[in-house]
Amino acid sequence: MDKAIIVDHLVKNFEVNVKEPGLTGAIRSLIKPLKKAVHALRGVSFSIQTGELVGFIGPNGAGKTTTLKTLSGLLFPTSGFVEVLEHDPWERKPEFLKQISLVMGQKNQLWWDLPAIETFELNKAIYEIPTREYEENLNELTTLLEIKKHINTPVRKLSLGQRMRMELIASLLHKPKVLFLDEPTIGLDVVAQQKVRDFIYEYNKKYQATIILTSHNMDDLINLARRVIVIDEGKILFDGALEELVSRYAKEKIIKATLSSEDNIKDLDKIGKIKKLAFPEVVISVPRSATAVAAAELLQNFAVDDLTIEEVPIEDVIRKVFRGELRK
Amino acid sequence: MIQIFVAFFLWDKIFENPGRIVFGYDRSKILTYVFAIIIVRALVLSARAADVAGDVAQGELSNYLIKPMNYFKYWFTRDMSSKILNISFAFFEFIILYLILRPPLFFQQNILIILAFLVSIVIAIMIYFYMLFIVSSVPFWAPELGWGSHFLVTIILIEFLSGALFPIDILPAGIGQVVMSLPFPYLIYFPVQVYLGNITGALLVKGLLISSIWLVILGISMKYVWSKGLKVYEGVGR
Repeated sequence: MDKAIIVDHLVKNFEVNVKEPGLTGAIRSLIKPLKKAVHALRGVSFSIQTGELVGFIGPNGAGKTTTLKTLSGLLFPTSGFVEVLEHDPWERKPEFLKQISLVMGQKNQLWWDLPAIETFELNKAIYEIPTREYEENLNELTTLLEIKKHINTPVRKLSLGQRMRMELIASLLHKPKVLFLDEPTIGLDVVAQQKVRDFIYEYNKKYQATIILTSHNMDDLINLARRVIVIDEGKILFDGALEELVSRYAKEKIIKATLSSEDNIKDLDKIGKIKKLAFPEVVISVPRSATAVAAAELLQNFAVDDLTIEEVPIEDVIRKVFRGELRK
Repeated sequence: MIQIFVAFFLWDKIFENPGRIVFGYDRSKILTYVFAIIIVRALVLSARAADVAGDVAQGELSNYLIKPMNYFKYWFTRDMSSKILNISFAFFEFIILYLILRPPLFFQQNILIILAFLVSIVIAIMIYFYMLFIVSSVPFWAPELGWGSHFLVTIILIEFLSGALFPIDILPAGIGQVVMSLPFPYLIYFPVQVYLGNITGALLVKGLLISSIWLVILGISMKYVWSKGLKVYEGVGR
């Protein structure tokens, strides 16, 4: 399989004007502006195969959006190599732009006062989509996203969920081969989230589209991304399968047991950290290396009816990622 | 509309005595000048490209950069449609003011002069477009200065030096010459004077030459400033 995206030692620095609060600060920054360099990306390298769906995760300000913007040609890399579909994104050649799309959950391209269909028609012209193809795509997308009846409603009157789905349609009418999704489910209710998620899954399958997804929504990642890239402070901390992320970073395992009597129940905390105790159920987290010993001890000293050993839930690991706890 | 009234009554007052000649203008000449401004203003100075600064400062620019479209042509088209809209308004304005004020009017009949006038208008439109884009790129480096720089250029410099308030040749000769070597008078003053037949022959050629040179300089500067600006563009506002 060929590579759709290649990123090698990508560095992006921003210059930020630092201003102290108040009037004196304002005057001081006018006379002697204090520039501070922000290192948004410090040497990021990865590559993505055609048809892959990759989740980008990390805490706020980790560099996810900066990476997506660089890949779509909005930002000029400070140094490093970027190639998407064999193009340098920065050149922003029409052939390249016609094959990609960037969807940002908090940024809209729809014309606020006009019905969404007007934006679609405009995009049809901009991307030079043949009329028949356009109608087919529009029909398919509106059906998949269950939003057909709203395309003639002015955008200002749509709910956030409906608007987000319209944004997706506007970004996908030209059938991009590479899709960058930045927080596509942000602010949506559970039902709308599910619709968008199902759709992304379908789109990836059906068109072999390469998709990079950033999200703070754990369900998005667990349901969609088989491969995740963890990024924090402008560096890649992990790149691999989601399950691998768990086994690498979860330093503990979970023992779940059902007890038949309450004898010695106070001694349970000698085995490990009690996460939940509601007789007869008990959940204990123990260090990975000591799992077998802990399980044996539990069976020996307590009246155990049933016992299972499990991995830490994916959610817990991802939550750690968002808190920026992986960097230690 | 108000600007026209102010200019009209100001000059009308000055030339209350019909025989009076100030700065080489008599009453009918200056009033014709004021009326010609209505149309030239609508053609040249009505442009939407001032909003580009907002696009840059707020990161809206990203929406356009991500699409296979030319951002300059996009704004040029918007400018053109704005001009068409404005010229139709200006036409009504012109008729109403004419009915109220009854100024002496002058219709140019020389085809060559009309042709030269049209050329000067095209140059003026392009110069203004480039100016707006250059000024609008200030927010790439200083997002909060977008409005301020527009105020400085479009209000102060252009209003005063383009001839939109008074004809440039009423200035003392030395200052007038300096102003005429700047791009601003070629926005309003020059096309109006060409139309009125006050600038002909060698002066006309000289004016067209100076404005064309400015056109090229501004065009190149705009391309340069934008390519620099896009490199520091951060696409803020997410």
